[in-house]
Amino acid sequence: MTAESGSRLNRGYNMNNITVKIKIDNEFKYFEYDGDLNIPVTTLLERLDWPIEYSCSCLQGLCGACAMVINSAPKLACKTFLKDEIMVTKYNQISIEPLSKFPVIKDLKVDRSVLYDAMKDCSLWLQSDARIGEDIDFEYEMSLCLMCGCCMEACPNYGIDDFVGTPVAVYASKLINQETSHDHLKELTNNYKEKFYPTCVKSIACEDICPMGISTQRAISKMNRNSVWKIWHLIR
Amino acid sequence: MSKIIVVGAGIAGLTAAIKASESGVPVNLISPDFSERSQSVMAMGGINASLNTKGENDSVKQHFEDTMNSGCWINDENAVWKLTSNAPKIISWLERLGTSFTRDEKGNVDLRYFGGQKKQRTAYAGARTGKQIVTSLVNECRKKEAEGHVKRFTPFRFVSLIFTDEKECCGVNCINENTGEIKSFTGDAVILATGGFNNLFGRTSGSIHNDGYATAKAFTQGVELANLEMIQYHPTTVKTPVKRMLITEAARGEGGKLFILKDGKPWYFMKEWYPEQAELMPRDVVSRSIYKASDAGRKEVYLDITHLDEKTIKEKLDEVYDVCMTYLNLNPIEEPIPIYPGIHYFMGGIRTDENHKTNINGLYAAGECSCQYHGANRLGGNSLLGAIHGGCIAAENAILENPQGKIISDIVSPDRYEDNRTADIMNKSMGIYRSEDELNNALMELDKINEDNALILLARACIISALERKESRGAHQRIDYPQSNEEFKKSTCVRYDGRIRVSFK
Ligand SMILES: Cc1cc2nc3c(=O)[nH]c(=O)nc-3n(C[C@H](O)[C@H](O)[C@H](O)COP(=O)(O)OP(=O)(O)OC[C@H]3O[C@@H](n4cnc5c(N)ncnc54)[C@H](O)[C@@H]3O)c2cc1C
Ligand code: SF4
Ligand code: SF4
Ligand code: FES
Repeated sequence: MTAESGSRLNRGYNMNNITVKIKIDNEFKYFEYDGDLNIPVTTLLERLDWPIEYSCSCLQGLCGACAMVINSAPKLACKTFLKDEIMVTKYNQISIEPLSKFPVIKDLKVDRSVLYDAMKDCSLWLQSDARIGEDIDFEYEMSLCLMCGCCMEACPNYGIDDFVGTPVAVYASKLINQETSHDHLKELTNNYKEKFYPTCVKSIACEDICPMGISTQRAISKMNRNSVWKIWHLIR
Repeated sequence: MSKIIVVGAGIAGLTAAIKASESGVPVNLISPDFSERSQSVMAMGGINASLNTKGENDSVKQHFEDTMNSGCWINDENAVWKLTSNAPKIISWLERLGTSFTRDEKGNVDLRYFGGQKKQRTAYAGARTGKQIVTSLVNECRKKEAEGHVKRFTPFRFVSLIFTDEKECCGVNCINENTGEIKSFTGDAVILATGGFNNLFGRTSGSIHNDGYATAKAFTQGVELANLEMIQYHPTTVKTPVKRMLITEAARGEGGKLFILKDGKPWYFMKEWYPEQAELMPRDVVSRSIYKASDAGRKEVYLDITHLDEKTIKEKLDEVYDVCMTYLNLNPIEEPIPIYPGIHYFMGGIRTDENHKTNINGLYAAGECSCQYHGANRLGGNSLLGAIHGGCIAAENAILENPQGKIISDIVSPDRYEDNRTADIMNKSMGIYRSEDELNNALMELDKINEDNALILLARACIISALERKESRGAHQRIDYPQSNEEFKKSTCVRYDGRIRVSFK
């Protein structure tokens, strides 16, 4: 044991008794939790005396595996602390559901492979060597996307037609910065124009919810500019 | 036409799949989850290459020497020379694939100081080097998938190796984690890229996906392992309600200092004990110093970055800021961070030669699961490098394999692993300092776990390796043998044939 343990961790947070509602097979199942509120939802799930399946890997908000709907909002369970949830602190309860826009595998675990297929269908790669130095900060930000699917959960239009979802715009906006093959640039923008643009209504819901704080609106505007409004990228 | 099976889709597995498919060979890339979930995305600090853009006269030779010195010369010199020579080419490959490295004022890839290296040699991409590299490798691999060269299989976890009647490895059995179905994948060669054996120690700083089962099972099937006792304690991890989380070495690279309060005043013990490199000594030395200075953790040790400017902390160390704010309720701009060493990296693993081949024909290993470049202690920034370089070399050689025998198929189910005592036993006996008594005790405790399980065998192999290395070297420190001994300037090799056999090679 080290001297650091204990002291800081519990500082100022009450232990509390809360009701935990978890949606399993489309029905809420109820659990009681009595203990420290300074823990994230993944730790809460571990502490329930009932085995619940969910995805996780890094346990620190870096891998996107643990996205789920917590008190009606899609979030990363490993970074969502009980003490920060108003439903917990005010009403002593928390509800946890699987992301609703993906097929459920079991309990809170969902299959996000449609997203990966969409990325492939939209040709999201570089055909040429990357052009360096256009706008590295922007490219860096767009590469932070965890493929967690929170944005798709929040998007009012995901699930309509064949709409491919926000991450496609995020990835594409980086790639069109770096791609130098005109043919592939055209392919990227055409795919966007066909599979993303017609359904997105720029409601910003995705940007507000993104756990990485990615400016999805910048990505979408950039893609709109390049694929729909102008063809300046072809003559650049 | 041959086919290559790659198991694991972190940085090493992705690189191996991309490189093998570049030569037109079809690849099956198998993993329990997508690459975005692999431990590789967690790497923050950077990747080493002697780019020599800082006017410090850096060179491959110096990178080589720092790597060998830090590894206490039990790493393979030829392999390390190739690694360090290839490093600048790897950085430019990653640039071409679109990795968003941070740039310096001249537009070059920026370099920072890291432990065990006197030159600025660690390239980085903001505070998320691993994630930025994974993103670009995933894009490249996606292209190979669309071209039909790489076929991905998720969510499959490794169960066992498949051999021919000539004892060549030609495939793997895997279990579909969603359905429980066992599926066999066969080809001309197999590359394991399954990461470190984290779960043997319960929670480490890394991903809980890396259960070590592939390494353990392969061991029971005749694959040699090496240097299992060489386990890296990262000097600066913090205790959170979730696990011990890493505070990247970049915090010290950017100027962070370690201290203990003595008579109410900070005592900068690293500066006092190692005036020249201070906080940037190799990790094994820093971890040991923390242990000693804090009287084995009885006194609180702090990492102080409050004197750095806010911009540096929020931009270059934003992950440190984030971890402290979210998981410790502590603002590192205003308050020093209480730290202690924690298990972070496995230098040992599947024994490979400089071509990344194991002792079994047709079987290769790359990345953290393989024992190759890091000897008795790994330099920060060398493992991303080793994973990429290893993936390249393994692919280059695996595509030449052409098994002669006939496939023996035996479908087995994975071992059940239910006992949770192993992690406690391992943490207790395989600490920063070890002793014969404690190690023997651990063996006895493991005997009590009545499970026929590859992971428990791997746990035994780690402890037996630690017992047999009767000296102190790098990450392996024996209270009863405090000096290093020339006789042990070799790798600890373990093999299983019904009994665990140890030799030094
Ligand atoms: C917090 C943290 C920070 C780090 N920072 C740095 C740094 O700054 N610089 C640096 O050089 N290194 C760093 N490292 C180390 C580095 O990240 C890893 O060593 C490296 O990413 C390993 O890559 P890999 O491809 O070998 O394995 P991983 O990325 O761990 O991937 C392993 C793959 O194998 C799969 N797998 C695991 N078990 C099985 C199984 N049983 N069956 C099938 N598949 C399986 C996983 O799902 C995954 O796809 C850091 C590590 C951590 C934890
Ligand atoms: S854009 Fe944000 S919310 Fe959407 S998948 Fe990426 S990280 Fe998740
Ligand atoms: S802007 Fe609105 S419609 Fe468009 S992807 Fe985001 S949430 Fe969906
Ligand atoms: S487990 Fe990785 S983001 Fe939550």
